[in-house]
Amino acid sequence: MPPDRPALSGYRMMWLYVMFDLPVGTPAERKAATKFRHFLLDQAFEMAQFSVYLRFAESKEAAETLIGRVGDALPRHGKVHIVSLTDKQYGNARIFTGRKRERSPKNPNQLALF
Amino acid sequence: MTGRIVEIAEDGRHLAKNRGFLTVNAGGEEIGRLPLDDIAAVIASAHGITYSNSLLVALAERNAPLVVCAANFMPAAVLLSADGHHEQAGRMMDQAAASKPLRKRLWAQLVSAKIEAQAATLKVVGARHEGFGLLARKVRSGDPDNVEAQAARRYWPLLFGADFRRDRAAGGLNALLNYTYTVLRAGTARAVMGAGLHPSFGLAHRQRGNPFALADDLMEPFRPVADLLVFEAARAGIREPDKDSKPALARVLITDMSTAAGVSPVGVCLQRLAVSLAQCFGGETRILELPRPTLPLEG
Repeated sequence: MPPDRPALSGYRMMWLYVMFDLPVGTPAERKAATKFRHFLLDQAFEMAQFSVYLRFAESKEAAETLIGRVGDALPRHGKVHIVSLTDKQYGNARIFTGRKRERSPKNPNQLALF
Repeated sequence: MTGRIVEIAEDGRHLAKNRGFLTVNAGGEEIGRLPLDDIAAVIASAHGITYSNSLLVALAERNAPLVVCAANFMPAAVLLSADGHHEQAGRMMDQAAASKPLRKRLWAQLVSAKIEAQAATLKVVGARHEGFGLLARKVRSGDPDNVEAQAARRYWPLLFGADFRRDRAAGGLNALLNYTYTVLRAGTARAVMGAGLHPSFGLAHRQRGNPFALADDLMEPFRPVADLLVFEAARAGIREPDKDSKPALARVLITDMSTAAGVSPVGVCLQRLAVSLAQCFGGETRILELPRPTLPLEG
């Protein structure tokens, strides 16, 4: 393989977690909660767990943009946390299904080949 | 935003949109998904690919071109946005009305930058590169002496050896070059559309059959970066673009170059170049924003 060039050097790759706890007692509340969840999917957040969504951002600026968009789409009631991790910190995450350790997801590659 | 390149290289894939994602399906199952907002271009190089219309709309809305490839990775068609920029109509009118002297002056800047970039690539690989600086300064408005071709005649043998012939239809090194240029051309087409310009009205590439004349013009100064990636791939023993070598070649758009505004990846340099070209057409400036000839590539 050719030598690995420093990709996106000087760019700080980030991972964003959006965690929410929204009331779903009345039809109107359920509707608001679903709307927020669909908004997260439209912004390409992926579900890590129910009500925990995760997205990669290639730079700090990209992360700030996404945080701003989530901030503008908050539902009227309920609690939302937005946590951003640097790629290094995220690399230390340990993820389990049952007792089985999963590989932590890698940074998206510049080329996605299917 | 540099963005990611999505390439569909195997048969039987179906591409669709699901909320904010492009999804890749095979045999009725989803095998991958990518954020639509992060996509720079989709390159379709396999035979049996199907698309959903809403996916094509979503890509167009984001100025991400879909490049349909024929054999040897030569692009056969590109699907581009019809509304890439809020001032698109005005900018295209400026572009169409650009005078011949202006187009020739701009072309000279591109040729000169390309020759300097060729020298930088030769320098990085340790080949002889004397005389290229002189050639770059010799370029006059519109390049009437065809200094570009003079430089190319020296450049290819110095880079790939005396036996090498650039032949689009050949395999091997030429196929590696085709592939890397295809990625570069897709990135350039996106930058052109993003700046509100029309890819068909070129500066020097004005053949009637070429719908991407302007993209071909603007990518010239960046071709030597692609050549360098191909050179390194070849030195590492790679002979054809395949699933192991393509990721390294596709990095052409994220390779860092040094610019007046600091280090930026090629994809961003292309966007700045396209915007400065639109400003030249609009009479706001006379100088194209080009990366510096030195490539900070060692390392």
